Amino acid sequence: MHSAGCLLRVSTLGKSYGPVQALNDVDFDLRAGEVHALVGENGAGKSTLSRIVAGLTAADRGRLEFKGQPYAPANRKDAERQGVHMVMQELNLIPTLSIAENLFLDCLPNRWGWIDRARLRAESQVLLERVGLGGLDPNLPVSQLGVGQQQLVEIARSLWRRCEVLILDEPTAALTDPEVELLFALIQGLRGAGTGIVYISHRLEEIQRIADRLSVLRDGRMTGTRAVSDVSLEKIVRLMVGRDLDSETLHESRTAGPVALAVRGLTCAGCVRDVSFEVRRGEILGFAGLMGSGRTETLRAVFGADPLERGEIHLHGSERPARIRSPRDAVRQGIALLTEDRKAQGLLLPLAVRANITLAALRAVAEKWGLVRRADEAGVARDWVQKLAIRCHSEEQPAAELSGGNQQKVVVARWLFRDCDILIFDEPTRGIDVGAKFEIYRLLNELAGRGKAVIVVSSDLMELMAICDRIAVMSAGRLAATFARGEWTQDKIMAAALREHLTTKPLSRSDDAPPAARN
Amino acid sequence: MNTSTSSCSPRRWPLAAALGLVALGLALTACGPQSQTPGKPRIALIMKSLANEFFLTMENGARAHQKAHADEYDLLANGIKDELDVAKQVELVEQMVAQKVDAIVIAPADSKALIGVCKKAQDAGVVVVNIDNKFDDAVLAGQKIKLPFVGPDNRKGARRVGDYLAKQLKPGDKVAVIEGPPNAFNGQQRGLGFDDAMNAAGMKIVSSQSGYWETDKANQVAAAIITENPDLKAFLCANDSMALGAVAALRAAGKLDQVKVVGYDNISAVQTLLKEGKILATADQHADQIAVFGIEYALQLLKTKTAPADRETPVDLITAESLAGK
Amino acid sequence: MQNRSRWHAGLTEYLGLAAALALLVLVFSLSTRNFFTTTNFTTIANQIPALLLVATGMTFVLVLGQIDLSVGSVLGLCGSVLGVAITQWKWPAGLAMLAALGAGVFCGAFNGAVSIRWRLPTFIVTLGVLEMARGAAHAVTRSQTQYLGSAIDWVAGTNVLGLSLPFLVALAIVAASQFALTRTVFGRYVVAVGTNEEAVRLSGIDPRPVKLAVFMLTGLLVALAGVIDTARFQSANPNAGLGLELQAIAAAVIGGTSLMGGRGSVVATFFGVLIIAVLNSGLAAIGARDETKRLVTGAVIIGAVILDQYRHRLERGRST
Repeated sequence: MHSAGCLLRVSTLGKSYGPVQALNDVDFDLRAGEVHALVGENGAGKSTLSRIVAGLTAADRGRLEFKGQPYAPANRKDAERQGVHMVMQELNLIPTLSIAENLFLDCLPNRWGWIDRARLRAESQVLLERVGLGGLDPNLPVSQLGVGQQQLVEIARSLWRRCEVLILDEPTAALTDPEVELLFALIQGLRGAGTGIVYISHRLEEIQRIADRLSVLRDGRMTGTRAVSDVSLEKIVRLMVGRDLDSETLHESRTAGPVALAVRGLTCAGCVRDVSFEVRRGEILGFAGLMGSGRTETLRAVFGADPLERGEIHLHGSERPARIRSPRDAVRQGIALLTEDRKAQGLLLPLAVRANITLAALRAVAEKWGLVRRADEAGVARDWVQKLAIRCHSEEQPAAELSGGNQQKVVVARWLFRDCDILIFDEPTRGIDVGAKFEIYRLLNELAGRGKAVIVVSSDLMELMAICDRIAVMSAGRLAATFARGEWTQDKIMAAALREHLTTKPLSRSDDAPPAARN
Repeated sequence: MNTSTSSCSPRRWPLAAALGLVALGLALTACGPQSQTPGKPRIALIMKSLANEFFLTMENGARAHQKAHADEYDLLANGIKDELDVAKQVELVEQMVAQKVDAIVIAPADSKALIGVCKKAQDAGVVVVNIDNKFDDAVLAGQKIKLPFVGPDNRKGARRVGDYLAKQLKPGDKVAVIEGPPNAFNGQQRGLGFDDAMNAAGMKIVSSQSGYWETDKANQVAAAIITENPDLKAFLCANDSMALGAVAALRAAGKLDQVKVVGYDNISAVQTLLKEGKILATADQHADQIAVFGIEYALQLLKTKTAPADRETPVDLITAESLAGK
Repeated sequence: MQNRSRWHAGLTEYLGLAAALALLVLVFSLSTRNFFTTTNFTTIANQIPALLLVATGMTFVLVLGQIDLSVGSVLGLCGSVLGVAITQWKWPAGLAMLAALGAGVFCGAFNGAVSIRWRLPTFIVTLGVLEMARGAAHAVTRSQTQYLGSAIDWVAGTNVLGLSLPFLVALAIVAASQFALTRTVFGRYVVAVGTNEEAVRLSGIDPRPVKLAVFMLTGLLVALAGVIDTARFQSANPNAGLGLELQAIAAAVIGGTSLMGGRGSVVATFFGVLIIAVLNSGLAAIGARDETKRLVTGAVIIGAVILDQYRHRLERGRST
């Protein structure tokens, strides 16, 4: 056989997109029965490499060998026929079709064109059990599944055929903790059966748990491959960004000002129950909790994006409850929401950075009768691009062409220009690479330092512990606990997040509902 | 948040109310004059577009006739929305056969496509009378079907209008024809009638194009023809709506005095134009009587069971003089 | 510097369309005797105001990410109201025209309000209004074409240098609309809502008034087109404007307006209208057979859009 169980070998691989060198002289190898983590900042070349291996793009230079033979998949189907599968970050399921139909979409079992329902069902059942979803009815439409479950279905789709190489691109991004455990068990099983797994993730703790070896890409070059047991977290980060990042210096001590926002007894149909909290000027309040614990729902209700059933919102210490029926009301009273899904709910992707920055306060750069003063608008946009160090060719570049971190900064600029005092960030660093993450942290610190009241919702506990002054923990729709800086530990927060699940029954299935079902 | 809504939720009631209104409306019309009396023959009148003034007049004539002879027959009048919607008209015939009417009087939207379904109706024992737009003779002969036609001879009518125009022109003058849609038999017949007259008088037809029965389209075509043929002497339009479009094109070009326009149908809007001389002549097919002729013939066939034969109805030439004479 | 680059961008934006138009004019000039004449061009210019106004409204609607299928019927209704008001109700011309404009604005407001209130796709609402407006047009006229004589002749009859008042008005409206779309807060909101309505809502801007305004504006422009056509033909036909919605959409699409919303230009739509008008006129001047006309018109619509895509690709290739 081939040397040392080497399943897939990539050597001197190169790929350019126009003048951009996405991959440069990259070597990489995958052994049978190992989990090989691939890490790097966004744009470092991880996706390009995996897309080439999975047959989605062709390389410009270099060689690929699969089981000792030259390997050049013509397209994704060809790669899958040879046993190389990839589960993408964006799910490729068709929401209106059933789980079973999605699993066997490209070759539905049939007799003379009539779908063999019984066989389809039976084979789907087997696959679902393998990924731990045995309890699901294969005839359920995919649209009724949570994002995590959809991810597992997607993996199941790769399993029914011979699967020797499986590429997982950020598989845990949308999973809840129990689902992550399920996924890891599944990965262990596949590894035991001799499948080689390429595991792409930003979550370094996960990699330490699950991966055998680790390769780091930076700017299209491979900066090193080593055994995971040999390297520390700090070392990985240094390999990724090329410099040290000290998380302890992230939080700056400051004194909190007067109360900017006080929420009392907030209740929303089905997902938020009797939540009260307050946030002061010059303070960062974090919201932790499991997925579906109602964090996002709470803050969307405060912003008027979703209707609230009961509860009062008091602004700037006023005794009279504020009237917030729509985002328009909220913005007029100085509240801003930076949504989790920047592309779908925040940005106007094809429009210029300029138009994105001025959107919420366009009237400030316009005459009374509606004429936009172009020079003023461009000036404002340039100003903010500079202040927040947004990396773009010019303020006229379409927002779609910016990286995730810079897109996030564009949205921040929009709200700072609108002069909002209360800024709610929902998952501000999701999908943003490590280097840019720290820039966002610095920005949040700076905002608090300037006297803004900042609320941050995040699934990344380390992130919250690094930047927040206080952390509120939600559990099954209730506010379980609030910790001040210094009082918290990871264990305490996790215990609070699970509190309601231990004492009462979870609310409903809506806990697993995909975020899109909220509206 | 969830999409499940109970059937009595406030969101649904406007729909329920709307459906209720529609049902009520249907119930009311059903109780109207069309209710059946046993023994009286039921005659279905199936027309082309009720959006067209011509057919509306036809329908109104038929309704008036039915009112005057209410004890002799019942009338079910139907039309299609769009003059070219052949499929809808086929459906109408099928529905009428299913309703077991005694006779169908039909102005077909297409001179060939409706033959099949009319034969089916005939086979089912329904008397079928063809009015207004004659079924294609070749197809009828080929299929060995006899469907009696009661109506005007469009070609003859157009010939009369054309002959009248020719008297005002000199041989060799340039003229243009604005036709109906290419698949409309009566439009084709009118075009042929115009051609007959112009050829007989030695005129030169420089262009024949379709204006689709519409003012706007005829206007575009006419304007282009005038530009291309500055010495044009006359427009022959297959209906009056298109004649209106031609007149507008001439007015815009400042050539109302040099170019004569004739139309067909004698709709009310052209009366003034005829008197002013902006339209020279048109033809009146007595729209209000065409359906009546057809119905009377159908009644006669039902009574006497004689072999069907074609019947021609009169077409009158309308000019400024004939209007003044009235 | 910045000014020049803006001019440059403006020029290249319309280059493809201008080339297509020039090509058509060239072909027809070579194949007919009197196409390349002032008379012919003024004739074409005086024919297009109605389509131009409707297509301008349609451009706004498409940029907003919506569609208005009712424009043709509403034009028929507005013309009918005008005709009946003058011939039968004996209203003074000015009042009758106001009534016609009012009918258009009302239809637009109805389209907008119903789709906002019940969150219906405008495709469905305007499809319904397409039927209703046509029915109303037939109801007010009793399906009879109304002959107005010279009652409102001045509308279409006033000429400046051979160009009719409607054409000049339409031109002014195109210019104003382009300005509104590109330079004003309202225009920015239209583009933004068409790009991502949820993002706009979460930015604290209520998209509903924007939507309503666009549909009312379209109704007004359509009504104006109805008044112009009625004046031009000295008659009001309840069937006027049949199929106009598709011509207007075609004109906008030829001009590069996206059916998905967020992108479009009124000036480009103007080119689209010109291309359609030149095509109609040229084919009629040649005396082309009916089937040829349809084949060629369809091919030109598709060809123009393909040409526009190439231009886009060229532009993008240059910018990166």
